[in-house]
Amino acid sequence: MDFSFKREQEILRRTVREFAENEIAPRVDYFDEPGEFPFETAKKMADLGLIGMTVPKEYGGSAMGHLARMIATEELARVYTAWGSHHRGFEIIPYLISTYGSDQQKEKYLRKLCKGELFSQLAITEQIGGSDPLGIQTTAKLERDEYVINGRKVFATRGEISDLIGVTAKTGEKSISTFLMEKGFPGFKAGRRERLISTMSRTMPINELIFDNCRVPRENMVGVEGKGLGPVLGAVGAIGRTGGAALCLGTSIGAFEDVLKYAKERVVAGRALSSIESIRFRLGDMAMRIDIGKLLNYKTGWLLDQRKHPREITKETASCKLYNSELAVDVILKAIEIFGGYGTSADFPIIRRMKSALDAIAAAGSNNIMRLMIANATVGESVA
Amino acid sequence: MTLNIVVCIKQVPDPKHFSEITMDPVKHTIRREGIPSVINPCDRHALEEGLRIREKFTGKLVVISMGPTQALEALQEALAIGADEAILLCDKAFAGSDTLVTSYVLGAAIGKIGAFDLVLCGNETVDGGTGHVGAQLAELLGIPHVQASNIKFIDERSLTVKMPIEHGYLDISLKLPAVISVTEQINRYRLPTVWAIVEVAGREIKIWDCEDLEVDTSKVGSDGSPTEVTGIFEHKFKRRVEFLRGSPEEMAKQAVVKLRQLGGDMK
Repeated sequence: MDFSFKREQEILRRTVREFAENEIAPRVDYFDEPGEFPFETAKKMADLGLIGMTVPKEYGGSAMGHLARMIATEELARVYTAWGSHHRGFEIIPYLISTYGSDQQKEKYLRKLCKGELFSQLAITEQIGGSDPLGIQTTAKLERDEYVINGRKVFATRGEISDLIGVTAKTGEKSISTFLMEKGFPGFKAGRRERLISTMSRTMPINELIFDNCRVPRENMVGVEGKGLGPVLGAVGAIGRTGGAALCLGTSIGAFEDVLKYAKERVVAGRALSSIESIRFRLGDMAMRIDIGKLLNYKTGWLLDQRKHPREITKETASCKLYNSELAVDVILKAIEIFGGYGTSADFPIIRRMKSALDAIAAAGSNNIMRLMIANATVGESVA
Repeated sequence: MTLNIVVCIKQVPDPKHFSEITMDPVKHTIRREGIPSVINPCDRHALEEGLRIREKFTGKLVVISMGPTQALEALQEALAIGADEAILLCDKAFAGSDTLVTSYVLGAAIGKIGAFDLVLCGNETVDGGTGHVGAQLAELLGIPHVQASNIKFIDERSLTVKMPIEHGYLDISLKLPAVISVTEQINRYRLPTVWAIVEVAGREIKIWDCEDLEVDTSKVGSDGSPTEVTGIFEHKFKRRVEFLRGSPEEMAKQAVVKLRQLGGDMK
């Protein structure tokens, strides 16, 4: 068993860390304020080659693989969770198109997505919830060469700023199809910004999306009519879930580094906090659990790089997402206890990390759905 | 116009992890185990400067490094950043070499590479910090050397650099070939792109040992080194807090007096 990373993966980690520390860390206060989405940072990510890491080279990607992609997400989130979240999100549609899309879709979109000329997102969730993708109410009806889409999506991350959105819609009673929706298609608009705690910042617009007799060319359907759920769940499994796990792991690592530094420097009654046994128990627990999170994540990334289909490794993708999203919240809570009053101060980074970590509990499949998936893979499918 | 460039780099412990580094009181070395390694920051600037010059001329940029096989990672990174070729100078006999021996081995490698016009290196490393190698290397190669914070002009025959001195700068022109040791102020270096990291992953990095370099084995390693580190100690910093009282102007005056008393040079 070889636990070492390849040289290129080590170089990538250092590179993304340096990028995050130079381009993101000095601006976290700015990113955290309300305002316009900071496209310039997203474009710099694309210029560095961070978008399209699973896309073949002939379509503008680097094809560096899933483990590398997860390392990049982790390093971005270590500095500021929202950028880890965006990296996860920016990778979903390129993966969807390169894995399930037509040659025409690959030619039309992939290079632009990899270069950061277009930014993208997947939108599945509707008001009935995101855990029942078959229960959606958005419909698509074929009229000549166009599908006419009606309905609404909610909790669409970067909905108001995305140029291309993957959208699911019903094309029959039990048939779901997936479409690539361009920003300018008639009848499509981003609605209000959701009132989530993370959306108070410029960096995390999450919106409702409205389709009112929206017309989508037939060639923008991904795969075959009525078989759209497979590609979407494949993309959510491969990128959404593992990306969520990576951004949570990065968040945990960043929070742990913050609190470790504080515990070593903060002197109470003549002793550094880090020398007090009860604090050391907490720090020891955090370090151990972060290592477990790493093992789950890196193994899952490695399995995907061995060409395992996401369907074959639902236990692993669900486990790494479930474990790491709970870990992030737990590490941050423990860190807040050590920070004391400063833990919830906006002048300290720790509470800022909590906002996006909380989002991750529900994103890419809620944690209870992850538990069911792990149980189904371990115990067998439920017959009830 | 053709200009062939050699850039010397060293893999060093990541300065961001210096607080975790401990000393070996017996071997008089720092313990590197568990500390991530990076290309010496000044050397990154040397590589960047080399790449900028190469972009203006035709010619090749070769990166060399003396070190163990772990330094292959630093060389692979240099290829991803844009170097044309990379060579590792690696032999068990090099263990314990001082800066003079390092310069001797680097000089032998540059001699073997052949035609070159410019050698760039970092002004100093973050681990040893002697700043010896650039000047010694130039001496051994029999060519001029200068430290530079800016290259103001360069053509095939000469260059003009800005050299920092204690209270200002000197503009110095010198003929090529030459060795230039660059400071961190010279540029802002680029990062490798993910595409480039992938592209160079399988590329060959030559490894040259004593035999390849035709160096005198009695002149390398700790035995061949005229200098020896005989002691190593850690700076201990103790924080002291002292409150000043009074109006802002009074406190500023008190602060100046205190700083002077503590040895600050405030001319």
